[in-house]
Amino acid sequence: MDLSRFFYSYPGSYVTQAFFHSAVAAAVVEIALKSWQIRSPSIRQRFLLLAVLFPIFSFPLYRIADSGRDSVYFKMGALFDSSRWASVELPASIPLGAALILVFFMTSLVFFFQELFPVLKHALASGKSDMGEVRAGDDPAISQALESLPADTPEIFVLEDEDPMIFSATGRNGSIYLSSGLLEFLSVEQLRAALAHEISHVSRSRRPYMVVVFLLRILMFFNPIVLLEFRRSVQDDEKICDEMAASLTGKPLVLAETLRRLYLSQEPAANGESAKGPSVTEKMEEYSHRLNIQSRIDRLEKGYAQRSGGEWFAFAVTLLAIVAVNYYVV
Amino acid sequence: MKKLWGIFAFASAVAVLIVAMKIFNWVPSLAQPDLLKKYRNLDEVKVALNLRDIIIPSYFPQNLKWPPSTILAQGKPFPAVVMEFEQDITKDTSLVISQSLSDNFRADGKIRVVQLKERVNYPLKGRNAVLEVGFGSKGEMVSRVFWKEGKYWIHVMSKSPPFELLKVAESMIQ
Repeated sequence: MDLSRFFYSYPGSYVTQAFFHSAVAAAVVEIALKSWQIRSPSIRQRFLLLAVLFPIFSFPLYRIADSGRDSVYFKMGALFDSSRWASVELPASIPLGAALILVFFMTSLVFFFQELFPVLKHALASGKSDMGEVRAGDDPAISQALESLPADTPEIFVLEDEDPMIFSATGRNGSIYLSSGLLEFLSVEQLRAALAHEISHVSRSRRPYMVVVFLLRILMFFNPIVLLEFRRSVQDDEKICDEMAASLTGKPLVLAETLRRLYLSQEPAANGESAKGPSVTEKMEEYSHRLNIQSRIDRLEKGYAQRSGGEWFAFAVTLLAIVAVNYYVV
Repeated sequence: MKKLWGIFAFASAVAVLIVAMKIFNWVPSLAQPDLLKKYRNLDEVKVALNLRDIIIPSYFPQNLKWPPSTILAQGKPFPAVVMEFEQDITKDTSLVISQSLSDNFRADGKIRVVQLKERVNYPLKGRNAVLEVGFGSKGEMVSRVFWKEGKYWIHVMSKSPPFELLKVAESMIQ
């Protein structure tokens, strides 16, 4: 198969330029976050989503603005011409472009199995509960924890399970699920902090913003940069909810302690069926998860900077730089 | 002060990024010398890219200068040659001929039909050519004809009415 036909076609140009545009956007966003020392997770998230959303529209918009962008003259003067790298031949006359297509294919698989498939499974399974015994969350400990929370409380359910866990089902009719083990494991104050965090998730999910972002993000299913940046922005979502929970309870240190108790003080559950123990991938995922939790705890314990203003200026300058630099990336 | 420092740090880092991209764009030419670049003359193209069958016109308008003022050519990802011809007096690029193995190869940067007036199928010495007439970016009359000659796509673009252009195009067919 002649790969140059793919890279010179409209879909091929779209896919390739979207990849390089997102890489440049991610680099510029990283520069902006460091230059302006932006630490607020809600602002960071807005910046990170630039690298997710920009490449969806960049190629067609640039083409409308300048139809001569795909001519050889423009490519000769471009900052970066992807077809040059795609044409470089590896041993056995395999063009480097084939490796790029392989990267797109692998990313598509990761996206499908790790992001889209779980979402579809969740959507199709909604209403058919496979969580075991579930009852309404009218326990005295829950009522006591919710008593002083200045927020609309979604429906709360208790799962009969001795493992301490808490999670929320987001959406318009969001609800919170917690285990009976959690009620015994946490104090009322810690339970309040955990509930405040989940209430924040439910409240944020009522806004269609992230749903729209996810739907748009699906268009970039092949793009590894978008995959990474979207995941980083989702991690920031946890920090945003930590801040919201801390402002609801007024006790960030209690939330930090709750996170530590729930996620760091317990050893990963031993799997009796597996004699080999966790695989390298599982170990890495566990390590990454613990690092992420530790960074959330550190923020809550050391205090976090409030918005200093001027973020919109930084955002506008960053967007402008991304648009200008990527115009010369073909 | 903090804001100013932020702007300075951002601008400097973006400038470094731009330089890095330019270097990154140049690196492939080390491994793959037959990528698109400028050549001094057609003989150099023939030797460097092993392109023997470059099609050139036998009719040439008197107001244009021979040899081509600029020659761009590539061997990878597919063979292609672009020849630019300048007006003798004004030095303005008035004729561009491109020959390429791919129909997606575009060399209409210097002479481009911005506002299309007419597009017709035109029989060019037995070939099914397409003729376009319109206006360029400065409102000048621009015409273009393209057809498939053997395995190559030939595009001839001119800042002139189609009459001269078609004479050049016809002279390229044996």
